[in-house]
Amino acid sequence: MKLFWGILFLSLIACSKQKTFDEREIFLISPEKISGFDPINASDQYSGNEVGKVYEGLYEFHPLKRPYELMPNLADGMPSVSADGLTYTIKLKSGTKFQDSPAFPNGKGRELVADDVIFSWKRIADPKLTSKGWWIFDDKIVGLNEWRVKYSTAESTVYDELIEGLKKIDQYTVQIKLKKPYPQFIYTLAMPYTYIVAKEAVAQFGKEFLNYPVGTGPFVLPKFEQSNRIVYYRNPTFRDKFYPSEGEEGDDKLGFLADAGKKLPLVDKITVDIIIESQPKWLAFQKAKHDLLELKDSQFEQAVDQSKQLKDEFRKKGMRLIYHPMLDVTYFAFNHEDPIFKDVRVRRAMNLAFDRAEANKLFYEGTAVEAQGVIPPGLAGYRKDFKNIYTKFDLNEARKLLAEAGYPEGKGLPLITVQTRNETVSRQMIEHFAKSMAQIGIKVQTGVNTWPELINKVNTKQHQMYTMAWGADYPDAENFLGLLYCPNKAPGSNGANYCHEGFDTLFKTFTILQDSPERTVGYEKMNETSAFEVPWVFGFHRTKSFMLQAWLKNFKFTEFQHTQAQYLNVDLEVKKELSEKF
Amino acid sequence: MFQYILRRLLYLIPVLLGVSFIIFILFNLVSGDPSAVLLGKNATATQIAELREQLGLNKSLWLQYLDVVKSAFTFDFGRSWATKQEITYMIKQGAYPSLCLTLPAFIISTFLSIIIALIVAYYRGTGIDLFVRFLCIAGVSVSALAYILGFQYLFAYELGWFEISGFEYGFPDFVPYVALPGIIWILLSLGPDVRFFRTVILDEIYQDYVRTARAKGLSEITVLLKHVLRNAMIPIITYIVIQIPSLILGALLLESFFGIPGLGGITLNALNSSDFPVIKAMAILTSVAYILFSLLTDILYTFADPRVRLK
Repeated sequence: MKLFWGILFLSLIACSKQKTFDEREIFLISPEKISGFDPINASDQYSGNEVGKVYEGLYEFHPLKRPYELMPNLADGMPSVSADGLTYTIKLKSGTKFQDSPAFPNGKGRELVADDVIFSWKRIADPKLTSKGWWIFDDKIVGLNEWRVKYSTAESTVYDELIEGLKKIDQYTVQIKLKKPYPQFIYTLAMPYTYIVAKEAVAQFGKEFLNYPVGTGPFVLPKFEQSNRIVYYRNPTFRDKFYPSEGEEGDDKLGFLADAGKKLPLVDKITVDIIIESQPKWLAFQKAKHDLLELKDSQFEQAVDQSKQLKDEFRKKGMRLIYHPMLDVTYFAFNHEDPIFKDVRVRRAMNLAFDRAEANKLFYEGTAVEAQGVIPPGLAGYRKDFKNIYTKFDLNEARKLLAEAGYPEGKGLPLITVQTRNETVSRQMIEHFAKSMAQIGIKVQTGVNTWPELINKVNTKQHQMYTMAWGADYPDAENFLGLLYCPNKAPGSNGANYCHEGFDTLFKTFTILQDSPERTVGYEKMNETSAFEVPWVFGFHRTKSFMLQAWLKNFKFTEFQHTQAQYLNVDLEVKKELSEKF
Repeated sequence: MFQYILRRLLYLIPVLLGVSFIIFILFNLVSGDPSAVLLGKNATATQIAELREQLGLNKSLWLQYLDVVKSAFTFDFGRSWATKQEITYMIKQGAYPSLCLTLPAFIISTFLSIIIALIVAYYRGTGIDLFVRFLCIAGVSVSALAYILGFQYLFAYELGWFEISGFEYGFPDFVPYVALPGIIWILLSLGPDVRFFRTVILDEIYQDYVRTARAKGLSEITVLLKHVLRNAMIPIITYIVIQIPSLILGALLLESFFGIPGLGGITLNALNSSDFPVIKAMAILTSVAYILFSLLTDILYTFADPRVRLK
């Protein structure tokens, strides 16, 4: 019993540690485990967020401007693109230093140069490293695929070998030659996969490189311990980079420009706790252990009153709530190789019978936007005034179409299995979908799978229907339209195996154009074609919601959070003042 | 005894072969192709094929099984397919927090359970016995999740006595983080443990030698502690020692809700991402631990009861 009381005593002592308010530190949460700090494998959002604190890319998304706008990061200006759209010449900022590390002579980080860019991008193509990001360069850069194939069976990969498509022009200039026009290429240079690493660090740490990040970024992390807490400190050798002095309209009033012109990063330390379960995240935030909380599952309901405003009890503590539509789309995909779904009338009938308003209330607290097509709001190609005539809830029209297709009241249709993940909410969504379909006589059942099983069924076309959500990799509608492009059929991203000649022609014509009004019109056409053909039962564009403590400054919703931490700030006076309320 | 130990250690060979075979079959039959999952949503057919080649999934099943057997006997588990981290390092990193939580909780719960069982046996058939048995049954009837959610809310959030979530390496830094989950572990264990130990002790209490001891005029306490407990040690040792391997595996729910980066979470992640090398490593290590601890149980029998001979 003495031991028991001893433990209790120690706990109480530890818990009574007094908070100090003299360090500019922010406390964040990652809701997923982090797999490591090698940028070429930062495929999920949360790994990308951590990698982005230490490493940097040539470009980044402006932290304030919307629609999303690229701005130079390690690059000195936007690239110069040849008239045929095939050659990109990019100048690098001079004087950018890698963080100090034992990998460098005397432990002092050296200057970043063009060779580092080429080395880092070749790592994505290195067959021995099996980067999850290879798809961004696959069949796009002249000579890179051949280089990859050459070394796929060789004992070791030779990085010094020259590649026509990846050239160093001088110490601070790289030139990229593309095989075909790929205007989305520029966005890939803001993705964590392409962040720049030092070859000395790769050589020094070998296979353990993923635990010893050495970048040029605003924060340093000497070693990734695979614990549930990651602590970053300000990089003392970070170059002169300043908080932007312009944003979108209204940012000034909202206080987003208060730190304009200040040297980045704005805080000295960041602590990231990895917490997966909902309750501890919620409770720790309520105790002010963290400054920002992404609301998931029922937390949104806990946070707001009936008018979707933050409850008084939280507002009294100065907390804020923001929710914003995401660049994503949810859908129930048909397998178009199943003869039943080749008939557009069946697909339309099922779209008309799906009660989206009820699903929105049930699963998204009414905050999601009903999808009218593939493209989410916020991207060129999305038209707010466009309404898909087949996504309204109209059971009579649905029954009529079904009868015309030869299935009056659903008679003659087999039982349809919709494959989904073995998660409670996913199963509930299919239950609701089945209820909707039952109203027109279509019988639907749930196929429950682990994530690997679901992926395998989709990739091997062993499904009638499945549910999925797709989030943007970059802010270009091509990333969504590609889900319906025939050459991307399973095992590619077009798991519905949808093929439509007209759509494919439009895709080939417009996705290779640089951003322009002409391309936007093309995207709109494709979106409308898909709306008319209903290759999926369209779902929603979901919202993401966050609760913020009063003292956290400069947090503006962004789909691309990788570089956001350096712009965040903390108001220590407010924190001190409010600390008694927690 | 030496020969006995050697023979039991040699049992490891067929057991490891069997375990390797079962996990290999289960992985290949149930789990399907992990390549697409590992490469993410943008994986192309070529990329999937390349990764299959690299992971050795294109080899014949026989050769793949040999790889599994090799790693079972060399304990060289390689790197995780999902995180690319070295598996032995992952296990080392995860075992420490798991043991910080489970070991003290296990020791305390075992001692408490034996003490309570002895008290209950002393007061057998009285209101105290009935009350404790009622508490034990009530305790095991409530879901572990209810304890976790309720205690975390009340003691960590409302009263602020403990940390809500997290872990720090090194003593005593980890104590505030593992104290509350440790208490929950103890409460969850008390029910079944007390009932088991009570039954074992009551089995002994009606033996002839106990009557003899009482007839000699020994006090009830002496009878319980010196005679009954000693004779009940064999089932108690079996019950206790065989639980030790599971301590290393951690406590999945407790670790998950209290943010403790233990082996429970590592195993769950591996299962969710078809990370076969990690699943394989955990299965093999658990099997080895069970064999070694069952051997330890046998050896401890000889100390608990000198009549036992290991042949």
